[in-house]
Amino acid sequence: MLDTSRVQKELAEGNRDTETSGVSIALHDGADLTHLSGTITGPVGTPYEGGVFVIDIRLPSGYPFEPPKMQFVTRVWHPNISSQNGAICLDILKDQWSPALTLKTALLSLQALLSAPAPDDPQDAVVAQQYLRDYQKFVGTARHWTETFAKSASVGMDEKVKKLVEMGFPEDAVRAVLEATKGDENMALEKLCSG
Amino acid sequence: MMTSDEGAARIPSAIFPSEISLEESYNSSFECCVCLDLLYKPVVLACGHASCFWCVHKAMHGLRASHCAICRRPYIHFPSICELLHLLILKMEPTAYKRREIDVLEEERRLDIFSPHFDSLVSENASSGILRDVGGCSENLKDRGNIPSKRVGQEDVSRCYDRKHISTDDVLCAMCKQLLFQPAVLNCGHVFCASCLASVAGEIPKCLVCKSLHPGPFPNVCLDLDHLVEEQFPTEYAMRRVKLQQLYKENLQCGVDDPSVSENQNVGIVSKKLASSEYLEESHLLLDEDLFNAHVGVGCDSCGVYPIIGKRYKCKDCKEAIGFDLCEPCYNTSSKRPGRFNQQHRPDHQFELDDSHMLSRIFMQRSTSMEDSVQDLSDYDSMNDPADQNGAIIINSDGNINSFVDNNDGDIGGSN
Repeated sequence: MLDTSRVQKELAEGNRDTETSGVSIALHDGADLTHLSGTITGPVGTPYEGGVFVIDIRLPSGYPFEPPKMQFVTRVWHPNISSQNGAICLDILKDQWSPALTLKTALLSLQALLSAPAPDDPQDAVVAQQYLRDYQKFVGTARHWTETFAKSASVGMDEKVKKLVEMGFPEDAVRAVLEATKGDENMALEKLCSG
Repeated sequence: MMTSDEGAARIPSAIFPSEISLEESYNSSFECCVCLDLLYKPVVLACGHASCFWCVHKAMHGLRASHCAICRRPYIHFPSICELLHLLILKMEPTAYKRREIDVLEEERRLDIFSPHFDSLVSENASSGILRDVGGCSENLKDRGNIPSKRVGQEDVSRCYDRKHISTDDVLCAMCKQLLFQPAVLNCGHVFCASCLASVAGEIPKCLVCKSLHPGPFPNVCLDLDHLVEEQFPTEYAMRRVKLQQLYKENLQCGVDDPSVSENQNVGIVSKKLASSEYLEESHLLLDEDLFNAHVGVGCDSCGVYPIIGKRYKCKDCKEAIGFDLCEPCYNTSSKRPGRFNQQHRPDHQFELDDSHMLSRIFMQRSTSMEDSVQDLSDYDSMNDPADQNGAIIINSDGNINSFVDNNDGDIGGSN
């Protein structure tokens, strides 16, 4: 049985310093606490810089004694992440999981994985091959994928922010709420109105 | 299980921390890293890290060595609850602790499996605490102002229990009867200064209170408890440090090589040395050949080894679903300790050998689908197929690691 009170605490903690950590967690469109959605920002100085990556999170009933199931929704070019389905190869999401880890620490680890690929233990063999044989080409492809898949959402985001700011809400609050609702304008508006 | 409606109602407060109810907040050094709530019936592992009774038990692996959630240090013994820490938290955070007690008890009733019961309810403990304070040494009086009480919800006094001032009597070493200095917790849950333990520990530390042997490596200092003692009783703590240093110097002059006091003012280093020397031993406790003799999801109610390896003695008379089991060494020493899950076990109960949960036997019974079994060996959760004719083996009925509960569902319907 899922420890709901822990998950609620994790949701609060995960969104506490989104500005600095680049990590946020929200419920997946109206789903219950077993289906969440996380976002991380691409680390500065990597081909993923400037991108916002959405990660699908499913909590098994044994959570936190079993690891959360995480998968990239945003397509990403990385040796340890499947370019086809977003499956992640990371030890702490498998046998090295510890119940003392949280969704936030797991997302931060994914962020770290983006900065430090491990091509010797690949999830996507094609990407790993390219990383090892032609690093420049890898960087180019990864950057292109970031531009194509990880930024479109944020372009639309600016328009939504502008729209809500014109309604008279402070920009900081608008951005925070939009991020929490994953860009859903109506839900964001509802939240802003309710305080 | 929470419905989606409830979830939707609660989430806004989770997303905006400022709206979280502040009716009871507690000292964050008492937070369990697993449930992210106040420690309830704390268990201290040999590495010195504390978690709730159920958090440790649920995180343990029913088939192989378990690992500390914080430092990943391997262990196979489920320690008893540290009663000293339990009473300490109960005194310092009574409101939150009472709430935890109610929540946990509700869950235990639902599963019909209970953690060890202590008589000390909040109200009873409150009165006994006062009595103890009155009878305590006068030197404790000056410590009374030290406990932070600003976080008590003033607006809701009726539901809040008053925090009790803890005195040095609450944090005494069971051996030297002085204030705990760098405390270490044994497998039985009793607390000693690391230096006191080191002074008596030849090879295997033995508890001076309950006389039980401490299995596995020498315990590390429980730093959370150490910091708490130092924070609450800074003067006494500093005096203890000075005294131990003096003792060490005297011993040096006399030429006594006393292992109880170590070189560079850090008495805890003794225990660390001991711990590291035995560290490897414990990490290899579960070899591959042991695996087939492991009783999946069955723990010893005396020493706490989980899973039991080798012979398993099962009590024939205990009625609780969880049963009462002993490993061979504990059976031979005829332990007098109560069960880990509040079983009403009595010394006149009879035992029988039981291998229904032994991995090798499970495999034999699954021989028709042997390929699956081998494949499943690494995946504990997928072995939830009761292939046993007696219905006695359900390793995991809902994919939960909490197999003590699950496998005994099987026992009820089985031939036992």
